[in-house]
Amino acid sequence: MTSTRQRLSGYAVVVLALALLGGLYTAVGAPKTKAQDPVDQSIAVKEGRQLYLQGCSTCHGLNLEGGAGGPSLVGVGASAVVFQVESGRMPLAAGASQAIRKPSKYEGAQVDQLAAFVQSYGGGPTLPAGRLDDGELALGGDLFRTNCSSCHNFAGVGGALSRNKYAPDLTPASARVIYTAMQTGPENMPRFSDNTLTPDEKRAITRYVRYVTNESENPGGAALGRFGPVSEGLTVFLVGIGLCIVLTLWIGARA
Amino acid sequence: MSNDSIRERLKASEETVETAEVSHGEHPVGDPTHSTHHSYHADLRNDPKRQKSAERAIATLFLLSVVGVVGFCATYVFWPFEFGEDGYEYYTPALGAFMALALLGIGAGAVLWAKTLMVDDETIQERHHLASADEDKVAAAAILKEGLEDTGLARRSLLRNSLLLGGLSLGALPVPLLFSLGRYQHKERALATTGWKQGSRLLDELGRPVKLGDLEVGGVKSVFPDVEGGRRMADSASLLIRMRPEDLKLRESRQEWVVDGHIVYSAICTHLGCPVKLYEQQTHHLFCPCHQSTFDAAAESKVLFGPAARPLPQLAIAVDDEGYFIAQGDFNEPVGPSFWERKPKYPQQPKTDDTNKGH
Amino acid sequence: MASITEKAAAGTGTWVDDRLGSANFVRRSLNKVFPDHWSFMLGEVALYSFIMLLLSGTYLTLFFEGSSREVIYNGSYTPLKGIPMTAAYASTLDLSFDVRGGLIMRQIHHWAALLFMAAIVVHLMRVFFTGAFRKPRELNWVLGVGLLVLGIVEGFAGYSLPDDLLSGTGLRIAYSIALSTPVLGTWVSFLVFGGEYPGGMIIERLYPIHILLVPGIILALISAHMGLVWYQKHTQFRGPGRTENNVVGSRLWPAMATKMVGFNMLVFGVLALLGGLFQINPIWLYGPYDASQVSAGSQPDWYVGFLDGSTRLMPNWELRFWDYTLSPNIILPTQVLPAVLFTLLALYPFIEAKLTGDKGYHNLLERPRDNPVRTGLGAMSISFYLLLLVAGGNDIVATIFHLSINEITYTLRAALFIVPPIVYVITKRFCLSLQRADDALLHHGIESGTIRRLPSGEFVEETVPLPPQYAVLLQTTPERKELAEHNAHRSDGPTPALAGSSPRGFFRPKRSPSDASPEGQKELEG
Repeated sequence: MTSTRQRLSGYAVVVLALALLGGLYTAVGAPKTKAQDPVDQSIAVKEGRQLYLQGCSTCHGLNLEGGAGGPSLVGVGASAVVFQVESGRMPLAAGASQAIRKPSKYEGAQVDQLAAFVQSYGGGPTLPAGRLDDGELALGGDLFRTNCSSCHNFAGVGGALSRNKYAPDLTPASARVIYTAMQTGPENMPRFSDNTLTPDEKRAITRYVRYVTNESENPGGAALGRFGPVSEGLTVFLVGIGLCIVLTLWIGARA
Repeated sequence: MSNDSIRERLKASEETVETAEVSHGEHPVGDPTHSTHHSYHADLRNDPKRQKSAERAIATLFLLSVVGVVGFCATYVFWPFEFGEDGYEYYTPALGAFMALALLGIGAGAVLWAKTLMVDDETIQERHHLASADEDKVAAAAILKEGLEDTGLARRSLLRNSLLLGGLSLGALPVPLLFSLGRYQHKERALATTGWKQGSRLLDELGRPVKLGDLEVGGVKSVFPDVEGGRRMADSASLLIRMRPEDLKLRESRQEWVVDGHIVYSAICTHLGCPVKLYEQQTHHLFCPCHQSTFDAAAESKVLFGPAARPLPQLAIAVDDEGYFIAQGDFNEPVGPSFWERKPKYPQQPKTDDTNKGH
Repeated sequence: MASITEKAAAGTGTWVDDRLGSANFVRRSLNKVFPDHWSFMLGEVALYSFIMLLLSGTYLTLFFEGSSREVIYNGSYTPLKGIPMTAAYASTLDLSFDVRGGLIMRQIHHWAALLFMAAIVVHLMRVFFTGAFRKPRELNWVLGVGLLVLGIVEGFAGYSLPDDLLSGTGLRIAYSIALSTPVLGTWVSFLVFGGEYPGGMIIERLYPIHILLVPGIILALISAHMGLVWYQKHTQFRGPGRTENNVVGSRLWPAMATKMVGFNMLVFGVLALLGGLFQINPIWLYGPYDASQVSAGSQPDWYVGFLDGSTRLMPNWELRFWDYTLSPNIILPTQVLPAVLFTLLALYPFIEAKLTGDKGYHNLLERPRDNPVRTGLGAMSISFYLLLLVAGGNDIVATIFHLSINEITYTLRAALFIVPPIVYVITKRFCLSLQRADDALLHHGIESGTIRRLPSGEFVEETVPLPPQYAVLLQTTPERKELAEHNAHRSDGPTPALAGSSPRGFFRPKRSPSDASPEGQKELEG
């Protein structure tokens, strides 16, 4: 054998080995993807992978398999990412009874990229196309009062759950965050699949929540936090009786 | 001082002592003129300039009141009022502000007038002794006694006793009428049954039947019986929950009451009847927002915390041929809060027409 | 001009007097003396709030439909368009969005109810802590407690009328409380609601109860309550010239009457301010009542809150025996507790009289510090009540402060038994030490701030004897009376330099030696 052939055959062996390893890995070791990503999606997935490896893999694993720091993300879907990351709950702050909303670490496009990446690992709920908050307002209110107000309060300002848990104030939540919360059921919130609440119903609820928390006015004056009779009772003593006592002091200023 | 001397000294005198000249002997604690009482009027009595300025202040307040009324009327007519119109949410606050101005103006003006310009010297008035003179008390008692003796009530026991009987029974006359306010027929049965029947489909709040597979694990749905008016029945509202089958901890007889991790509980709190819809997906807790009773939905809704004394009744469900959830019968026990006739134990089987004898 | 009005007034007066003989009554009434202290006007706040309730309530009845007939909403408030609801709720929405001035009248009415109850409570505390309920005014106290209870009932009925989600939840709770009554529970609850809940007619029944029956009784009780104050004359604080047998103050006409009318307008003004600037009971946000819906953070109006608190704190004791169920977890906090509290409250004057053996008339008021046991009991009761009130809002507390609601509940349960006795002891001690301060004042006089050095080298502070008009405030015991007289004679009557000045202050005089005239200063130095 000439040295060229030997060298060539050496390279061939290496290439073959690599191909075999790669083939084995693809066949056995690689996570299964449900669908083939279209070409434009693959860019988002690629970007998303980078973001994931930088910001999430420490707790959720290099292959989204989970670990001591966080659960597996296989199959949670793009919606879970949109909810957790856009509301700033993820990356998780340390030492709280539940994930706290804080300013998001990622911009909108980055959130979508992360979402697309996670979606590529086992699928899961995704956001529908089109507007999320153009549902029927009155229907949304009725559905909100049946499904949501017992945790989040009639005006969405939030409420207490058992132990140290709470249903948060919905005012800062965007339409995307509201919609994906219903889809994914974060932490102790129930999951409302599309057969439990249809996309139209979710849109109606989203519309109502955005309306009541951000657009609705208070035609009666200062809303006192929309907590109900507790703040009203406090006000009648502090403002009402307070003013009346000041007035009696003025009138009866003697003895 | 004895009662006698007080009465002597205060013989029915209601006259006001205009000036405060009282001798030191009668009021040993001091002369009222040197009290802490401060009358603005006294200050202004000899100061026409300050009186004029007080007048001006009072008049200003009254005129401000007029401004308030004018503003109120103008706001009422001209301010945007329709729901959704720009600025409509300030309609009521503006009305309130002007109304307050109108009322506070008159009020403050009147009070200022009284304080500065009206005669307001400290005056003393005697209190009349409240208890009547002995002669009056004796006379009143005597008249009463005489009249009673005249009626013969003391002597005529037949009269007295029959009057007593008649009088007391008269008091009972309105009771039956009051009674008509209620409908009591079969009240225990009414309490022990709901709208759920054997074979009723579970409908959601919009009236659609719920199919196996509609819910994901961790999902909930408010469900109502598939009968006329079922959506509005106050005792029938229930909650369908889906858990992983291995999470459920049920007794033997209730294993057939669930379908693949789907379980239904009455949504009427057993404490005081508030709807229990708050489900914590991870802890499997049902939490009533009214008084914080907490139930373990994975363990037959056992009470974990709070004032509720009994678990939420469980509705036995099954799936029909088309895959829709149905009830196997009514709840096996009365739903909602406790009542006196509620039995300590009920048979552990859904109530169907066969089992439904009496209650 | 003056003569025309004079002639008209005289003419009218004669016309009335010819038929009613009213001149004597008018003379005595206009001349009637009322003691004036700012705290005596707190009951008036309640009275004027009640008048506003009558006025605003009458207006609302012209629009409100007290019916549970189901309608489909078609008014201006679009977020509820097409939703089925009762006519009661729909008419309340109409008042709020389709009647000009409707919303402010609704809000004034509701704020007036809250202020009515708050004023009653504050007034009750004033009467209690000054001992004004003692003989001969025990009956008036009982009437007042009756008004308190009726006010709570009336308020509950009133805010349940719109049939919104919040108040409807409260109605269901009321039904369940009635249901839990031993033996008679099902009878009572089915009687009131006309059958099993919801019954279909509770709104129709609450309406005449709220607009006619209970206001009628309240009006009668208020008239009796004020009539007794008029007849027995108001109590007064100690002061110069004030004895158990007189009333020192201002005559009704013209100053007192003007102030009362003025105060009436001012309280109305406060209610208008509240009604316009602070949103209350936004029923359009709560939604119509639906027995399968509820909101987190559901509370009754503040004056029912203590019962919500007792309910939340109660452990879940229930007894099941033979064929029956007995629920102390419901009966104790919602029926027994208020019955005991209000009965004790109503009987308090008699209990105190019995325990102290005090059978005398009392027209002079005590300062709270002069009766440490009563003040301590009062403070203890208030702390107990406040703890229950806070317990009623425990989920709001948990939500705002991010605390565990379970731990709040456990803490309040313990606090309910630990805090009141501590408050009693502390309050009593505080009263006693205030009394000691008063004693020091009587013994030594006011500290003048002038320090004098004695030849021995010792520094002493000059004190000025308490002027009699202040000393009289402190003479609540025979020993103190003696002491005050002794001091008064020692300095030969009021110190000339200090008489005639007019310091301000509610309970203690505020003076400084620089107020003294040159002669007075010399006296101090002498």
